[in-house]
Amino acid sequence: MREVDLAAVRPYADHLGDGLVQMSFTLPVPYSLAARRAALELAGTIGFEEPEVVHYEELTEGYTYFVMYGRCMQTVDFAALQGEGFDIEYMSEDEIEHFATTHIGRPIVVVGASTGSDTHSVGIDAMLNLKGYHGHYGLEGYRCFDTHNLGSQVPNSVLVARAIDVGADAILVSQTVTQQNLHVHNLSELVELVEAEGKRGQMILACGGPRVSNELAKELGYDAGFSKGTEPHHLATFIVRELAERAASPA
Amino acid sequence: MPTLAETTASAHRLALVGLAKNTGKTVTLTAMLRELEAAGRTVGVTSVGRDGEERDAIDARIAKPRVRLAAGSLVATTDALLRASALAHELVEETGVRTPLGRVLIARLLAAGPIEIAGPSAAADVRAVSDTMLGAGAEQVLIDGAVDRRAASSPQVSDTLVMATGAVLDRELEQVVAQTRDAVELVRLPPPDGSEHSEPVALPPRFALTAGAEQVAELLDANPEARRLLVDGALPERFLDSLLPSLRRHDREMTLVVADPTRVFLWRHGPGWYARRGVHLRALSRTALAALTVNPVAPQSHTFESGELRARLADAIPGVPIFDVLQDAAENVHAQAASTLRFP
Repeated sequence: MREVDLAAVRPYADHLGDGLVQMSFTLPVPYSLAARRAALELAGTIGFEEPEVVHYEELTEGYTYFVMYGRCMQTVDFAALQGEGFDIEYMSEDEIEHFATTHIGRPIVVVGASTGSDTHSVGIDAMLNLKGYHGHYGLEGYRCFDTHNLGSQVPNSVLVARAIDVGADAILVSQTVTQQNLHVHNLSELVELVEAEGKRGQMILACGGPRVSNELAKELGYDAGFSKGTEPHHLATFIVRELAERAASPA
Repeated sequence: MPTLAETTASAHRLALVGLAKNTGKTVTLTAMLRELEAAGRTVGVTSVGRDGEERDAIDARIAKPRVRLAAGSLVATTDALLRASALAHELVEETGVRTPLGRVLIARLLAAGPIEIAGPSAAADVRAVSDTMLGAGAEQVLIDGAVDRRAASSPQVSDTLVMATGAVLDRELEQVVAQTRDAVELVRLPPPDGSEHSEPVALPPRFALTAGAEQVAELLDANPEARRLLVDGALPERFLDSLLPSLRRHDREMTLVVADPTRVFLWRHGPGWYARRGVHLRALSRTALAALTVNPVAPQSHTFESGELRARLADAIPGVPIFDVLQDAAENVHAQAASTLRFP
């Protein structure tokens, strides 16, 4: 097997280094040969070599949908991005239970909700409910967690009050973040309410949503951010490790 | 006219707070750093969010200003970001604070250069790293805010406040002025004056977070003489919404006393609007507001004329110096550079 040069990686499909990318997009133009040429030209402009339209069809009148291949010959220096401490090694469900028993030794109280005007509770349900997500049960399925799922459209102040009342170790909120200030404000306000109640040092705050990154979580004042691809045991691993760290070095 | 750094020279722990994202906090920070470096002052810098990154975390179309620190500066940032800066430094303290971007270290830079700054987020940790930097030789610590977060501007953390406002708040200049006036009114909440000759009623814990109109009405009925409520913790706007109908029904007025302005969460109206309806907000302490900075540009949207925006703000908000740090720098050096120098 060919050695991967981590300082210069690029996409591949058939063999390492071929740069092959599959992409799909829609152009607001009528389905035609000119539309196909437009897609090819666009792919070339983006920088794809040997662009190829493998499929195109009319979506509706005046709109054409494309599936294309192209070669991306640029590389990215993955080696420089490694070892920055962003990656956690996740534990399995059994390892998490064992870790919690050994290092924490009491039920870990987690309160979750989709806050503000967000009606989407899919994310929070996937993380908390027994049914879970992707073959991993949610926090409710663990012996070590005492879970409170408050559902969707929960005002921040109500969520914070409930979290304090039940002695939460962690608050988990999910929110679809867009460029609208409202969503950002709603997430930052929760952190500020916890601060105003004087409880920031006692609670782990985590946020999740399709566009949430660690960078955004840091801006908003959360201890962690979880995005697409997060499975319940990822979240659980973070919570038990963070709690154990806090217990070992109280601020 | 004195510079922003001169205006805030007596501050030990100075908090920069934005009224929203893209009001120009980081630009204000970089301008102050330049002025302080020129004055030969040793500074410490931390950020409750992240500063000096190339792209905005929410809108990648927005390029952000880089933050350059002078040799000798103290900085609180994560291990990874300190390493990535490749600047020579000496370690002052491993704080033990963990953030989504890594563990926070305090370092003294031995060389000048650009660096990304991500210090602690929690207010108590911000205070701790600020004190460490002051103890290690910083004459002043600059605490940069993030989005619209205010916790690090509480009197428990900082002694001086600079607020950033800008065109991003609204397309209407009048609205930008009104929202800024409300925010200033909030950070300047006066202390209770003791003129209400009745025993204050301390609200039960979390009452202000959860009480609906009915519970508030019961509380007022149980305390018919009460003129003053003490709120220990957060005071959200929902509570004011629940309070107003009861007050109106009984033609009563009420003073609400909080620990400091960062405990009050207003979104739709300012303190003046509530005062006109008989709800008077008071704070036991507050951080001194030293200046306002304005960013007349709303990224990907509209721009106001800086001079006009500042003049209108000055009319509405007396007694606070108002800076457009890019305009001011440009006026000093080169008037025409202003349009190209402007960052969100």
